[in-house]
Amino acid sequence: MVRRRRIDTISLSLGAWAAIVLVFLYLPILFIVVHSFSDSNALTRWGGFTTDWYGKLFENQQLKDTITNSFKVALYSSPISVVFGGLAGVALARRPGSWTKGFLAVIFLILVTPEIVDAIGLQVWFVEVGGPFVQPSVPFMRSLFPIVVGHAIFSSAVVTLIVRARMAGLDDALEEAAADLYATPRRAFFQITLPLIFPALLAGGLLAFTFSLDNVVISQFTGRPGSSTFPLYVFGKVRSVLRPDLAAASTLILLATLVALGSVVFVLRRSGDSSSEIAATLTGGG
Amino acid sequence: MHRAPRRSLRLPKFALALPSWGYYVAFFLVPVVLIIFYSFGTKIPGSAGRTEFSPLTLDRYRDAIKPTFFVVLQQTMRISITGTLLCLIIGFPVAYFMAIRIPARWRGIFLGVLIIPFWTNFLIRTIAWRIVLSPVGFLSNWLQDIGMRDSNIQVLNTKAAVQLGVVYNYLPLMIFPLFVTLDRLEPALREASKDLGASRLKTFLQVTLPLCAPGVIAGLLLVFIPLSGDYITAAVLGGADGNMSGALVASQFLQAQNQALGSAIAVMLMGSILLVIAIVAIISFAFKAVLHRMRKVDIPGTRGDDLAVATNG
Repeated sequence: MVRRRRIDTISLSLGAWAAIVLVFLYLPILFIVVHSFSDSNALTRWGGFTTDWYGKLFENQQLKDTITNSFKVALYSSPISVVFGGLAGVALARRPGSWTKGFLAVIFLILVTPEIVDAIGLQVWFVEVGGPFVQPSVPFMRSLFPIVVGHAIFSSAVVTLIVRARMAGLDDALEEAAADLYATPRRAFFQITLPLIFPALLAGGLLAFTFSLDNVVISQFTGRPGSSTFPLYVFGKVRSVLRPDLAAASTLILLATLVALGSVVFVLRRSGDSSSEIAATLTGGG
Repeated sequence: MHRAPRRSLRLPKFALALPSWGYYVAFFLVPVVLIIFYSFGTKIPGSAGRTEFSPLTLDRYRDAIKPTFFVVLQQTMRISITGTLLCLIIGFPVAYFMAIRIPARWRGIFLGVLIIPFWTNFLIRTIAWRIVLSPVGFLSNWLQDIGMRDSNIQVLNTKAAVQLGVVYNYLPLMIFPLFVTLDRLEPALREASKDLGASRLKTFLQVTLPLCAPGVIAGLLLVFIPLSGDYITAAVLGGADGNMSGALVASQFLQAQNQALGSAIAVMLMGSILLVIAIVAIISFAFKAVLHRMRKVDIPGTRGDDLAVATNG
């Protein structure tokens, strides 16, 4: 009995600590949501309840433009990350060889390079040196092209690791069976490999999407006039006046993220992942 | 065996990774090499950000170690190292509680609750601290109401606010890898240790802790590296007091239009990050060697896995 009570004390204090940390993590988010309903011109001051800011959100053209830009960039850059990262992840897991070490070194380098270094590098590359990419031949991307390219670098590296981890955990017997049954490599890929790694691709894609929605630094250095994103708009306002409409926009984005996150967790659960595996996938590899 | 010919493709093994290779060479390796090259250049006086490279010079590095810039680099490293250690101290009990103390079916929910803040917009949750810490805000009023303070709190625009902000922003990156490693530990190992007469503390120190070293190392890297390069948190919460090296690089590029100096500071920032990692690696290697000699039984999986976990992020 004495022994049991001691276990409880440790568990209890650990649990209390975890609860404090959770409050710490949620406190600011709670404040943002609450202040999006504040009837005051300054974000930091509470001024009574109102839902006006949600209506005014759609009147502010600049805010609307930057949110649209953000979603466009995320929509273009996350498929790039998923396709490139997915292919590389499959290659790393199934076709290892002398090339693996060098490639992993580059991935590691991408992960450990501070974002600001990437950002200035891309700026010099795009603006100063020029290169073949200054006048993008991809018409629908135009001024968003450099930002899209910049956002996909880090997230494709993360997707690569997620997919590799997923493939490494899968027996290749299924793929061999497909080959034995005379499936062409292409068919085996689309009918066996792709469905197997689909949850990883989905999680990776969502991760890439939120990375892109979040990004300030790369956007700041690769952006051109008219390509300002929502985080850049917000960052520009930090030094001047922060109004509750930013909180309203953030609350809506938070809701969208939650829905997306919930559906990914649902898909991962359906495919039989444990919570630990889900954690590994959602936080980028492992 | 008989299937070998059918399975072999004519394409080389790395064919599927080729798109990524091309992408990384064009948009990562070349730009980073360019930055290193630019750090040896000189700004053409009076020009709007043109750089000349004849002759190549180390002068920008001489500029970068002048007190104005070097003090900021020192402060950046101080905030990063303190922040990383705080994340470890705060995060470890949480990860341990999640992975070992709570029933498996609750783990997923707890984890989901932890992931949500991490997926919330980075800039927004940083700005949110401006509301929380506001001198006329809720927290300030509350602290005065319960009598813990008799004046408004003055935390905003100080180094303390920056430190708080970075710990807040990077804490999840510490908890996740720790949780994954602790969750994969076989309970049998701890039970065996207990059965062999080890006390609870001894089991923790000699079995659990060494086995989760890969997770600790992954967490330290995942927090320290982005934290050192981050200047957004400092810009939002630190005011004039929160200058980080990343901000100097940004202002050299965006305002002063001195690409060469900005590049040199960036290279020095990367160098400092690598230096700190190298020092920690050497210390932990020595520590492990000592620990290994002290321990009578070798537990498989405690050595050599670190790099694998680290590269897996």
